[in-house]
Amino acid sequence: MDSPTPIEIRNLSKTYRLGFFMNRQVRALQSLDLALMPGQVYGLLGPNGAGKSTTIKILLNLVQPSGGEARLFGLPPTNREARRRVGYVPENPAPYEYLTGREFVTLAGRLAGMSGKELDDRVSEVLGMVQMTRAANLQIRRYSKGMVQRVALAQALVSKPDLLILDEPTSGLDPVGRRQIRDLILEERHRGTTVLFCTHIIPDVEALCDRVAVLVGGRRVREGSVAELLSSQATHVEMTVEGLPLERIQALGISLELARTLENRVLLHVRDADAQRMLKQVLEQGGRVTQLQPARFSLEELFLRALEEARQGPVGGEIS
Amino acid sequence: MGPFVALAFNGFREARRNRVTLLVAIFALAMILSTTLVLEVTVGTFDRVLTDVGLGAMSLMLVLLTIFLSSGLISREIERRTIFLMVSKPLSRGAFLVGRLLGNMLTVTVLQLAMAALFFLMMLFYQSPITPTHLAAVGMLWFELWVLSGVGFLMSSFSSQMVSAFVTVSIYVAGNLASDIYSLAGKSKSEAVQSLGKAVYYLLPDLSRFNFRPHATYYASVSSSELLSSAAYGMAYTGVLVALAVLLFNRRDFR
Repeated sequence: MDSPTPIEIRNLSKTYRLGFFMNRQVRALQSLDLALMPGQVYGLLGPNGAGKSTTIKILLNLVQPSGGEARLFGLPPTNREARRRVGYVPENPAPYEYLTGREFVTLAGRLAGMSGKELDDRVSEVLGMVQMTRAANLQIRRYSKGMVQRVALAQALVSKPDLLILDEPTSGLDPVGRRQIRDLILEERHRGTTVLFCTHIIPDVEALCDRVAVLVGGRRVREGSVAELLSSQATHVEMTVEGLPLERIQALGISLELARTLENRVLLHVRDADAQRMLKQVLEQGGRVTQLQPARFSLEELFLRALEEARQGPVGGEIS
Repeated sequence: MGPFVALAFNGFREARRNRVTLLVAIFALAMILSTTLVLEVTVGTFDRVLTDVGLGAMSLMLVLLTIFLSSGLISREIERRTIFLMVSKPLSRGAFLVGRLLGNMLTVTVLQLAMAALFFLMMLFYQSPITPTHLAAVGMLWFELWVLSGVGFLMSSFSSQMVSAFVTVSIYVAGNLASDIYSLAGKSKSEAVQSLGKAVYYLLPDLSRFNFRPHATYYASVSSSELLSSAAYGMAYTGVLVALAVLLFNRRDFR
């Protein structure tokens, strides 16, 4: 069954009613639009309370939206056939502790409609993929956090899903564990699986994602590929100059955002509007420009900037 | 094995690996065996004491176990957030709930069969006559456990294990007194009290309908129509409780 859009979200909103009398309202999502194309690795980036997990929970029929629409492969999340094509790992997964890893993954396969030898073979295969073969027959209560995370990933993969939804898959893991999970996500991408994952760990997004949406206060404040997002922020030019001391460059009277002497060269950040003038004057003064490129912003800087902008505008949170 | 059966067997496995279940099972079997000690100090009414203590121990232990298991059935999964992994699977929330309930009842049924086997073996050993009423008393206890499971299960779908257990115990006590409450209220001169008594009677499960232990103790006969009507009542009442639980569970957000 081929469907063009694994995930399509239009104008999605969620307001939680809290308290004994349900009289406190907290807006978790506001008019969110999102679309994932097949084979994409899509990151939802945002601070705690940004609405990342709520988005994922609506997609998995764990939470009902207050407004708008979410679709999995063209079907509503309440439809079991839509969920059959999805593998999900929640944040801090808590599988049944009394089961062994193998038993839990087998149960997940059965619930997804698998059975017999096909299921047994697939369970062994996915346990191997997450490097849990040796611990597969231990009860989950004896597992470390990293092992639980890997078993949770195995149960998500057991039914060969077309779409993987991962909620903070690497949070709380040591560097080795994080690396293993990241490698598994990349392997799945090579197999053609679409992946949506949410995180606040920026290096994971940079390493894995084709596209990113930054959520703050229940709103999407940025969206695009990592390269697009970073270049859209580049309003400065980075220039490396040799053969001209910093004092003489400063004497040219062009405003510098950054100026630093590095051994025998000078590194400058100049505003876009001043770049051509600076280039001309440096050459006229006998200097050599050995490098000229848009100043690189890290995703972290972009994220913090988006956070700052969102704080100044009306965003989600408690509304009554 | 379909998803439904997988859930039921998983529930059985959960109970089997739970130390509380094992302790209750061992204690119950020990209590039935300890009937021997009671018989040592009994004069005359030997058969009655054997039936009374055996069936009483079976009922007490199974009721306690049912309340313990059913009241934590869903609430524990919600508290631990295991529910995220289960409800996101391609099965309906109703199927998930009923699968879990069946797993619970499978555990209780296996334990009841073991206790009943031991009880009847003891009766054979002491050459005490086993009548159809004895079988009816054991069978009707099973229907009472379904109703109790249903109450615990309904409460568990929207409240904590403590609250569920407290309400289920309260309903067990009140449900056994439902007929008495009804007849007492009927004697009142106040219409309001009479109506209240009726409301309590119709709302609460009438658990005394499943109690055939006195009949077994005194070798009284029980009509099949009475048994059938009690069994039908038990299943219908459980059905309503399960339907309510599914209705509430379907509307829940798992944050």
